[in-house]
Amino acid sequence: MNFTPVTAPSGASATDMSNSGEIRLVDLTKKFGDTHAVKDINLTIPHGSYCCLLGPSGCGKTTILRMIAGHETPTSGEITIGDTSVIGLPPVQRGTAMMFQSYALFPHLSIRDNVAFYLKMRGVGKDERRKRADEMLERVQLAHLRDRMPAQLSGGQQQRVALARSLITNPRVLLLDEPLSALDEFLRLQMRVELKTLQAELGITFVHVTHTQPEAIALADMVVVMDTGRIDQAASAREIYNSPATPYVARFMGAQNVLTGKVEGIEGGVARLKSARGETFELPRQSVAPAVGEDMSFSVRRDYIAIRKRTEAETEAATNAVLGTVDSIEYQGNFVKVSLQVPGMDTFVANVPDHDYFVEPIGPGDAVAASWDKQHAHLLDRVDTGVPEPYAAR
Amino acid sequence: MNSRSSALPYIQVSPLALVLILFFTIPVALVLLVSFFRYQMLVGIVPDFTFKNYADILTNQTNWLLYWSTLKFAVIVLAITGFIGFWISYFLVFHIRNLVTAIALFLVCTVPFWTSNIIRMISWRPVLGREGLVNQALVGSGLTDQPVEWLLYSDFAVVVAYVHLFTLFMIVPIFNSMARIDKSLLEAAMDAGASRWGVIWNVVLPLSKTGIALGTLFVVTLVMGDFSVVTVMSGGLSGSAASAIFNDLQFLNYPRAAANAVILLIVVLLIASAIFRLVDVREELVR
Repeated sequence: MNFTPVTAPSGASATDMSNSGEIRLVDLTKKFGDTHAVKDINLTIPHGSYCCLLGPSGCGKTTILRMIAGHETPTSGEITIGDTSVIGLPPVQRGTAMMFQSYALFPHLSIRDNVAFYLKMRGVGKDERRKRADEMLERVQLAHLRDRMPAQLSGGQQQRVALARSLITNPRVLLLDEPLSALDEFLRLQMRVELKTLQAELGITFVHVTHTQPEAIALADMVVVMDTGRIDQAASAREIYNSPATPYVARFMGAQNVLTGKVEGIEGGVARLKSARGETFELPRQSVAPAVGEDMSFSVRRDYIAIRKRTEAETEAATNAVLGTVDSIEYQGNFVKVSLQVPGMDTFVANVPDHDYFVEPIGPGDAVAASWDKQHAHLLDRVDTGVPEPYAAR
Repeated sequence: MNSRSSALPYIQVSPLALVLILFFTIPVALVLLVSFFRYQMLVGIVPDFTFKNYADILTNQTNWLLYWSTLKFAVIVLAITGFIGFWISYFLVFHIRNLVTAIALFLVCTVPFWTSNIIRMISWRPVLGREGLVNQALVGSGLTDQPVEWLLYSDFAVVVAYVHLFTLFMIVPIFNSMARIDKSLLEAAMDAGASRWGVIWNVVLPLSKTGIALGTLFVVTLVMGDFSVVTVMSGGLSGSAASAIFNDLQFLNYPRAAANAVILLIVVLLIASAIFRLVDVREELVR
């Protein structure tokens, strides 16, 4: 798709401060009855960035989106877009447009009238309305279907219409509620690329709600990982992936193993941890200073784990290693996902490059030792409470 | 084997076909047949083939007046029930967030139907009568010196009773089609800058069209076929197309009653086909 920003009729330019799509949420809270949907959210989404709100269903990500859109009123807190507070303003005055999960196309209107709806509401004349709707439909390559009804279109086409209908309002913020979840895999990957390209071309802020990690990683300049009603981490995709802040984020992103131990001693900036099973881990000094006797959790990326066979007689793990038996093997093409059973842990996974794996293949039931270099141990802000998350490691 | 399987579909539709023939086709055919018979004083029905009954009805000015009055009632009642029905449904569907509450309130609308038509009609008398609640309130508050006479036994009373009796027939289909509207459509319309009225006019109303059409069909046919409400509530001052039929039946003039019934049937069918032409009601029923 080849999108170019449509200049607003008012002639407002993108450099105009009032046109900035920076979103600031300050102490934002929403209660439904007695339950907090979201609690004390603080977040700044920079102008012109692609932000993904990521979390399992019911974590409050859609509620945040709907509050930004003006379809839900916050119980307390502040939302500003650009430098204006938007609480109480209708969507059109906020400069936001929302793309709904169900696309929400008007079933009684043709594609062209769907796209032209905003212009009709603004009292634009019929000819002008049609002309501009047709231009927008051409941008999404659907001009030839303009007289069809929404029900006669495929899911992918409906989505493009929804996109065209949102963009005709010249929003400074586009809000997308799980836009790709209704599409099949092939179309999803294609639309993903198109959304990213579109965002870069328009230069406006995109806020995209999803529960799919690869989608967030692939699209976002800024990933916001949410747990029930609060933000666990908001950072770049790479940072979220490599340096998760909490055990929850580490597990939810699905590429990390989470380990916990008690600090036994600190030597030369390296903390020595002893786990409940008796293994010894080394943890290089990071942001949080460890104290002797304290529990600490850290994560190690799955692809930094090395696996070797061991004999049944070998029952003592070396430093920075755990012992276990192979639970399952999944071939993934460029790597092999080896899941281990380690007593006292819910999951432990090693992603072994396929050429390494096939040098010395292992199978379910084999006794193995899994080890890693101490520099790959990443300290987590919070001690792992060991509660298995419903959406934990895939 | 082959012949049996080809007969099977006919066997499958036969129960419904029998019911329709027995309770619909035969009675209508009989009415049509009798409408061409001759009526003879003191003798009764004489088999014949005459258009005299139709000619009598069509040349009688009273009949035209009765049809005119019935149509007038139908239009007034339709406008009022449509208005009330639309807004009650709108309130129930879009303003009550809790589905259980909405269904409970919806059931409350049906409570008046737990008593018979007659009781619901009669109970307007102590409200609208000369010494009724409304008049007592009016005189008591000093708004009028004398009780208002036109409240009961008037066209006003007839309309009140019709609205009371038939509004539910409007609420049910409109509620039904509104409940199917995806709530995000309303939000999408607001995103596009539609005002509250804009949303109702451009989204809710067009998508409730089939419900409104079905409700219209119910209300119009009910009003067109009524004679008891108009008789009781107008105190015999007004009549309807059906009360002409009722009068003929009392004089055992079955042929003319039958002819009038056929004319009424044709009028109602014309109205129904006009509604079907405007809105595809099947779409609603099939969905």
